[in-house]
Amino acid sequence: MTNSLADHLRALPDPALAALLQQRPDLVVPVPTDLAALAIRAQSRVSVARVLDSLDRFTLQVLDAARLTRDAAADTTNLDVILAMAAANARPPAPAAVHEAVQLLRSRLLLYGSDERLHVIGGIDEISPYPAGLGRPAAELDSRSAALCADPAKLRRTLLSAPPSARAILDRLAAGPPVGSVPPGALKAPPLGAENALPPDPTNGGAPTGSPVRWLVDHRLLISVSTGGSGRPGTVELPREVGLLLRRDTGALGPMPTDPPRVAAPPREPKAVDSAGAGQAMEVVRQAEALLEQLAAEPASVLRSGGLGVRDLRRLARALGLDEPTAALLLEAAHAAGLTGELEAPGVAAPRSGAEQQVLPSAGYEAWRAGSLAQRWEQLARAWLTMTRQPGLVGQRDDRDRPITVLSPEAERAGAPIARQAALSVLADLEPATAPTPDEVLELLDWRAPRRSRGREAAHREVLAEAATLGVTGLGALTSYGRLLLADTSTSEQRGADDPLGLHADGEASTAVRALDGLLPAPVDHFLVQADLTVVVPGPADPTLTAELDVVAEHESAGGASVHRVTPASVRRALDAGYSADDLHGLFTRRSRTPVPQGLTYLVDDVARRHGGLRVGATGAYLRSDDEALLGEVLADRRLEVLALRRLAPTVLITPAPVNRMLATLREAGYAPVPEDATGAAVLTRPRTRRAPARSPGTTRTVDPLATPRLPMPRLLGMVEQIRRGDAATRAARQAPALLRGQEGAKAAHRHTDALAVLQQAVRDKALVWVGYVDAHGATASRLVRPVSIGAGYLRAEDERTEMLHTFALHRVAAAVLAD
Amino acid sequence: MSGGPLIVQSDKTLLLEIEHPDAQACRLAIAPFAELERSPEHVHTYRLTPLGLWNARAAGHDAEGVVNALITYSRYPVPHALLVDVAETMDRYGRLQLINDPAHGLVLRAVDRVVLVEVAKSKKLAGMLGTKLDDDTIAVHPSERGRLKQALLKLGWPAEDLAGYVNGEAHPIELAEASADGGKPWTLRSYQREAVEAFWAGGSGVVVLPCGAGKTLVGAAAMAEAKATTLILVTNTVAGRQWKRELVARTSLTEAEIGEYSGERKEIRPVTIATYQVLTSRRGGAFTHLDLFGARDWGLVVYDEVHLLPAPIFRFTADLQARRRLGLTATLVREDGREGDVFSLIGPKRYDAPWKDIEQQGWIAPAKCTEVRVTLTEAERMAYATAEAEERYRMAATTRTKLPVVKALLDRHPGEQTLVIGGYIDQLHQLGEYLDAPIVQGSTTNRERERLFDAFRSGELQTLVISKVGNFSIDLPEAAVAVQVSGTFGSRQEEAQRLGRVLRPKADGRQAHFYTVVSRDTIDTEYAAHRQRFLAEQGYAYTIVDADDVLGPSLPSVD
Repeated sequence: MTNSLADHLRALPDPALAALLQQRPDLVVPVPTDLAALAIRAQSRVSVARVLDSLDRFTLQVLDAARLTRDAAADTTNLDVILAMAAANARPPAPAAVHEAVQLLRSRLLLYGSDERLHVIGGIDEISPYPAGLGRPAAELDSRSAALCADPAKLRRTLLSAPPSARAILDRLAAGPPVGSVPPGALKAPPLGAENALPPDPTNGGAPTGSPVRWLVDHRLLISVSTGGSGRPGTVELPREVGLLLRRDTGALGPMPTDPPRVAAPPREPKAVDSAGAGQAMEVVRQAEALLEQLAAEPASVLRSGGLGVRDLRRLARALGLDEPTAALLLEAAHAAGLTGELEAPGVAAPRSGAEQQVLPSAGYEAWRAGSLAQRWEQLARAWLTMTRQPGLVGQRDDRDRPITVLSPEAERAGAPIARQAALSVLADLEPATAPTPDEVLELLDWRAPRRSRGREAAHREVLAEAATLGVTGLGALTSYGRLLLADTSTSEQRGADDPLGLHADGEASTAVRALDGLLPAPVDHFLVQADLTVVVPGPADPTLTAELDVVAEHESAGGASVHRVTPASVRRALDAGYSADDLHGLFTRRSRTPVPQGLTYLVDDVARRHGGLRVGATGAYLRSDDEALLGEVLADRRLEVLALRRLAPTVLITPAPVNRMLATLREAGYAPVPEDATGAAVLTRPRTRRAPARSPGTTRTVDPLATPRLPMPRLLGMVEQIRRGDAATRAARQAPALLRGQEGAKAAHRHTDALAVLQQAVRDKALVWVGYVDAHGATASRLVRPVSIGAGYLRAEDERTEMLHTFALHRVAAAVLAD
Repeated sequence: MSGGPLIVQSDKTLLLEIEHPDAQACRLAIAPFAELERSPEHVHTYRLTPLGLWNARAAGHDAEGVVNALITYSRYPVPHALLVDVAETMDRYGRLQLINDPAHGLVLRAVDRVVLVEVAKSKKLAGMLGTKLDDDTIAVHPSERGRLKQALLKLGWPAEDLAGYVNGEAHPIELAEASADGGKPWTLRSYQREAVEAFWAGGSGVVVLPCGAGKTLVGAAAMAEAKATTLILVTNTVAGRQWKRELVARTSLTEAEIGEYSGERKEIRPVTIATYQVLTSRRGGAFTHLDLFGARDWGLVVYDEVHLLPAPIFRFTADLQARRRLGLTATLVREDGREGDVFSLIGPKRYDAPWKDIEQQGWIAPAKCTEVRVTLTEAERMAYATAEAEERYRMAATTRTKLPVVKALLDRHPGEQTLVIGGYIDQLHQLGEYLDAPIVQGSTTNRERERLFDAFRSGELQTLVISKVGNFSIDLPEAAVAVQVSGTFGSRQEEAQRLGRVLRPKADGRQAHFYTVVSRDTIDTEYAAHRQRFLAEQGYAYTIVDADDVLGPSLPSVD
């Protein structure tokens, strides 16, 4: 059969072969040397499983039909019997659909040959031994059962006489899979003389039947495949003929819908979907930023086994008012987007176990934060789409019953991007703004690629939930910008293949960003100040405004807008950071759309007046003030006793304590001192943030790490030519002249001189030559080469098949014959 | 983007920009389910709470309507998760119902059986539930109705109370809208009518109205609606007498029908007014006057100044769940943070109106709030600086420098009825001497108080110095100026109540003035800022002036 498939491939015209390779790109990684190798690879288990995974349910059913209708002797089937089998279905599909499916299977090289002699490719039986859930033909299992099956009338009678309990077993096996396990001993005959001790079975006319499985095996309706024994269960199989008879009502293949199931949910208003999604997108960006800020304020330690501890996750989630799964999702996505990184914890360098690693925002975070809302969202969402992580696993337990932590290697799943692509493409293929329930999505996935989606239901559900959290979907439907992002992610991959040199670098914003930008509110650069000293920014704040407000006010509430409150402490902080009272007044007047309330003006002035009233020096630590009363107050303050203050002059106090301690103690006690340097100038303090080194985002991974790049036609045709050349060479190799193979000592010397002449001639003619030579181990070998030069005792020649230049020592060349 | 007036925040606060043309429509749309938290001049803050959402459910609003209102008026896209959360929260209400079963009395019935099973297992409900009648029904001891509702609320499965209220002993009460004593005719103001209707529809709850907005009348109208014997709980005897006067004037009730239950008198009549003090007084560790609650079959219980309700009364109230309860207050801010207990035991907030709205309608006098900053003398500063921490506020608040400032303030308003309010008796005596005005304080007898108040009302007395006793429930309609010299640390509701003293609308629509005199650069300023917070949130912007500007024309500057 291998030969015949190779022959089939050989007979194909080049474009057809190229088209085939395009359908099954994994066959050319690496490029096979010849067509025989290609044929072998096309039937390998991995490759066939891969192509089966991508087929929808109907096509798989047609393939089952082809397998079931195979002629036992010739091992071929034909289109007519396939059509006949489909037509025997309770609700037969349109013949055109079957034709189409057969064509599809052909294009994937699962079937080949003409309509009259269709071959099924090898390897399928290995992957799914039971086509359509039916067992092997009785003839392959047991001769007596085959005899029973050969007599349809008798078979039917036997079936009808089965007691109900046995019939139930048959029905279950007929629905597939056709094998069942039986408890050890169930098939054993009752001990001699005890036959009548069995309980009477009323369904069998009162006669005892024993176990129903035994009844079935005794009547040859089931065949015991392995008896098991010694405590292990045995196995029984339902012969194909019996299965088909039991399925006669529905047809051999069961229901065969040719179209995917319909979504019952009514479409939503596209605007409402976009709006809900955009709101969520805005929210998730804000949450991600808050999460990273929290991480910056208090970095989380990396566990020895990788990942962040459960307690750290809980702390972050609580600080943000999120639930833990959402926090885990955000952390994973932010990490995949390169926004966080690891850094050695400062100070605590453990000598033996190495320094403790901490997770904190990376340098990439700064760049991210400077971007627009839509850009920031896109970076997160894209990272989520392509990351090979399954955040839904966080909090569950692994095989060794240890909890899976966020960012740990245990949450790595290579299939995660495929699952996301699959689930979201289901939504993308529906009408815009259709909001199917998760169950409907799973059903659709099951129809589209039943082999791939089976067992991944939980992962797919997680994808849908995460997409809602990230605002990729809104109200359960894919948003317009989510659709663009999805399309963009798959085309960028393709672009990478068509444009290997990266000529079309994407400098401009992606379409998804632009679409989302249109939905999100424009940044606001003003605020409203109110008498209760709250500052309301009525929209997403401009980054410069945010930076200003971060210094002068306390953050109170976030979301579409943000609310801040000016407090004495916040004003003091602003003064500490170098603002003067006039700067602050200017800031409020410039930014506020409403008149600045008098209370705020007074607050700023009051704090500013007292701010810097105390000045602290570095030289031994002094405390000076022009205000004697104030110094008196400080001196008398019992809380400052630890500083052991002494009045140096009416306006100066000194302390032996270091400056920092003095500052802290004074501030704790409610004073507002300002540190100053040796020249008497105030030292300004601004908080400095720590950042981990830059990390490139993990988006360079392709969506499907297993998938091969898409192959453009010219390249494919090149490969075909290469394979063909290799094929020709291999076949030629098989026909190496007999002269080279026979090694008769007497004639050897003679041939050696002949060989030299032949080779010299061949160098001149640039002709192909068969060279027989003795290798380093004394074995003889032959090679078809094109000599290039002879000299210094060596022959250099080119092997066309491998495109390599070989060098042969002339004294080892045993013979040379011109190839014809 | 609809460009609406509302901004929905992630922490479930709603910001309403009131200059927006749709602001009023939006306010009406969100008022049923969102609670007004702050109402300063430009942006009002509402909050979505589970309680508020369940309340809206109880009043017949469904989740779809709430979501729709949010989406319609929101300026920016509303996060999907928040909408889902709103819908889910509202869906929790009414899975359990408290109903009167004809055969078994009060029972808890499940609309969703799983919830009942979950709830029945909870330890918090131990002892409150009786026998299981069938899969969906569990008997409830009638006395546990309040506590059960409270506990279910905490578990997040609020029960819909369909068991109704007892009507109580009927007693005819009518509003005498054409005044009985031939005075000028009057009618309930629109917001008072709305408040009574909202309360009656809900059965029990709290009505929040500014001081001087006529809360007594809301109580009277509720009594006229109930037409049943009523127990009224007030803060002190003077307030009780004012209630009595008001009721006689505004309703068909006569003096003989109204009883006073206080330290002085123990009368139980169809309408009885009792003070918190007498109810919580104990003898030998036992509350001796609890029988009052069972003395009659009350059809309505009114709690005046519900933000001051003492803790023991909460416990008694839990037993009164079958009776209609009305709470009245100007500020639902409790310094002890027990707003939640008021909510579950007396009832949810049924009506609330921003102070400034009522002022605009002319029902309370427009008020100008001014903070006067006094600079301490050097000697005073030194004394303050070296004082012990616990003495500091007292020192800053009672500084003598304040006296001339108060006098100067009074001189600014010649001929106006003025109250000087303070917290420290020594200071009040100083002020009394300095201003030559009588003092009302805790130790003043009720008779003396009545006499002084009457003299003040009639205009014989221009200036009155009062202590903390004046914080609540004194009806002094003609007071137009109040000067506050010291208070109870940073109490927000005290400040609001004191402002309330001057908010009664004046006959000639004059403006009211509220001054608070604070010492600069001391803890007094900090407390003042905290005290003003509630009023600032209600839209009263304080103007700050220097004492020097008050004391005289400022010197022409030379530089």
